[in-house]
Amino acid sequence: MSILYSADRLTKKFKGRTVLDLEQLQLEKHKIYALIGANGAGKTTLLNLLAFLVPPSSGTLQFFGRDAIYNRQHLLELRRRVVLVDQYPILFTGSVWKNVEFGLKVRGVAKALREKRVLEVLELVGMRDFTQADAHKLSGGESKRVALARALAIEPEVLLCDEPTANVDEENQDVILSILERINTENQTSIIMATHYLAQSRRLAHHILMLAHGRLSDRSELF
Amino acid sequence: MDLLLDSLKSAFLLLLSYDPELFAIVGVSLKVSAISTLLASLLGVPCGFIIAYSSFYGKRLLLTCLNTLLAMPTVVIGLLVYSFISRRGMFGSLELLYTQKAIIIGQVILIVPLVTTLTIAAISRIDNRYRNTALTLGATQLQMAWVIIQEARYGIGAAVIAAFGRVIAEVGISMMLGGNAKGFTRTMTTAMALEYDKGEFVLAVALGLTLMTIAFGINLLFHFFQGRTYVDTV
Repeated sequence: MSILYSADRLTKKFKGRTVLDLEQLQLEKHKIYALIGANGAGKTTLLNLLAFLVPPSSGTLQFFGRDAIYNRQHLLELRRRVVLVDQYPILFTGSVWKNVEFGLKVRGVAKALREKRVLEVLELVGMRDFTQADAHKLSGGESKRVALARALAIEPEVLLCDEPTANVDEENQDVILSILERINTENQTSIIMATHYLAQSRRLAHHILMLAHGRLSDRSELF
Repeated sequence: MDLLLDSLKSAFLLLLSYDPELFAIVGVSLKVSAISTLLASLLGVPCGFIIAYSSFYGKRLLLTCLNTLLAMPTVVIGLLVYSFISRRGMFGSLELLYTQKAIIIGQVILIVPLVTTLTIAAISRIDNRYRNTALTLGATQLQMAWVIIQEARYGIGAAVIAAFGRVIAEVGISMMLGGNAKGFTRTMTTAMALEYDKGEFVLAVALGLTLMTIAFGINLLFHFFQGRTYVDTV
């Protein structure tokens, strides 16, 4: 078993209120995990911690067996291996192309390689015809697909998705779920997604984790 | 009323005749104001970004101080800078007094707080998800800052335009630090004040018309930027 994340007594507090309190958590690589739970259960907070966007209030978080160190340089290294797609993804002002190539550009990837990669991922999400479209004029489902393409362009080791199919029509839901399944199978990308939908979780995830009031439920693996 | 109408008529004729004195004055005003605005923007925009994105003890006090500086009279800044650059001042040896550089120094001090506070306001309006998205996609702090500045560009543009409007219309600093020397430091506002003192209204009105035309152009730009900001956030 190869451990991706290992959390020990990990807590996150906002204004004195504990929103996440995990005694122990171990996540394996190359798997799909579904985080389910009611609103306010701590799903998004956990994803933000796993994406290294916020530091924990206490406890330790290990990534591939090494403690996450919350200094600028180390965080940049960690963030370049993990990517989070938000529940309501923000697309930068400009074209779909500019959005998708962003992660490659900040990594200094050569133009020819960037172009190849952008076209590949836009093809994967079925948005190849939208390369020059204004990103702010896309529908909700299209925006989610572009945000997913933008995340996949950088070939992350871990893809974190917050409610990847929320607020999109059924057709787009199926497209998104198929993409997640495919990149896990073909690229061995580890996926951790927060969702409200148990049926989706059962279809896609290798493991289901249930969060309630910021804690992992004992019933997690029973679903 | 006749005096005003006659002055307006003569002023239009003066403008249409491309009077060299008039255009020299307008040129000095535009040059000095443009340089001041550029320098103040180079200082104020990064400061605004840093303040907006930092948490530090005394931040609210700093914001209150910046807002207070917005109300600082130009005469006070003129006096302050004068005390440093006059012959007996700390920088007297640089012989800056009654030069365009002196006006620029004063005007920069006048508008840096304006650019900074308006930049803070523009940046604070940007959804925090832009920051997180840039970071999760692997951006460095500097690359993330550039993303935020790009997203806030209309608000920042409006800040710069507002600052230019402030300096081109000010008179206290230009008069006290520039000295109103013809052909060198005479700006539209100091020339208007001088012509008024002399009882020569024609040039004053012509300059007033030019200043208002420039102000109108600036406001058109300002509304353009404001409109784009509004459209972007809807």
